[in-house]
Amino acid sequence: MKISVMTDILEADDRIAAVNQGAFDQHGNLVINLMSSPGSGKTTLLERTAEALRGKLRLGVITGDIETTIDSERLEGFQLPVIQLTTGSPCHLDANMIASALPHLDLSQIDILVIENVGNLVCPAEFKVGEDYKVVMLSVPEGHEKPLKYPLMFRESALLLINKIDLLQYTNFNLEEARRNATKVNPDLEIIEMSCTAGQGIETWVSWLVERYQRKNRKRRSA
Amino acid sequence: MHEMAIAQGILDLAIAAAQKGGSQKITRINVVAGELRGLVPLQMTYCFSVLAENTIASNAFLNLEITPIQGRCKNCSETFIVKDHQYVCPQCQSRDIQTVGGTELRVRDIEVA
Repeated sequence: MKISVMTDILEADDRIAAVNQGAFDQHGNLVINLMSSPGSGKTTLLERTAEALRGKLRLGVITGDIETTIDSERLEGFQLPVIQLTTGSPCHLDANMIASALPHLDLSQIDILVIENVGNLVCPAEFKVGEDYKVVMLSVPEGHEKPLKYPLMFRESALLLINKIDLLQYTNFNLEEARRNATKVNPDLEIIEMSCTAGQGIETWVSWLVERYQRKNRKRRSA
Repeated sequence: MHEMAIAQGILDLAIAAAQKGGSQKITRINVVAGELRGLVPLQMTYCFSVLAENTIASNAFLNLEITPIQGRCKNCSETFIVKDHQYVCPQCQSRDIQTVGGTELRVRDIEVA
């Protein structure tokens, strides 16, 4: 006997993500799910973002790693609300893990919440956590073909940050090729070139965040 | 390895559907998975078999139907299969392509004894 099911496999995750999103929306938090390979510069980006937003908007961070609290320690000096999730073995954050972190975070004291996912270009793309936008970071040493090799990640993201462009001269990374590959997979993808250590592009990234934050809260007030 | 979480999702849905239908044995699970999901079939079957041990799905065959990436041209509305990530319209050569298929991930149906 055949029984029709027709149900999305990640429905349980989607449902929890919707509850998380409800909590974020209630406080007007702009929530970014930041994803990349290990070592492409997510934590350095957060350090620069914290500096640039200081006195303007309040940043909060949930950071996920398989092991260690090194990332949250790096952010300690910035006096931000930071929650470190150590997944133990899962290679991604899912909605349930974020839900477990929320009781430890005062959302009314946060404007922009960045969820720094586990470094991995595959699995994090599958799981919604309640974010407004997925943002993917790709660094120059990784190579310009990555969007074609990991299409789902680039397809699901609203913004691509190409980091470490100060290293372009030492590699065979082709910026035009990278842009072409990324927009092949996702024609609507916005792209910012940056170097988190040299400071290029940080301003553009922060304006992107601020604009999205304002847009969300304008909508919320008029709703 | 997202296969484990997905295998668990499949198992949960299948068992719930079987129990709702009053059945105690699942023989086959038909899953539709888009190519963009990047599932590795061998890993999927392995993860599933481990998780299904000692459940009513322990002998079930997991059938994965991989659906291709489908594009729709925003210029001329042509719908076509995207091969090798060539997001170019075969009709008008436009590169303004919207992906309309290839991200599905659902249990279509199950067969029970």
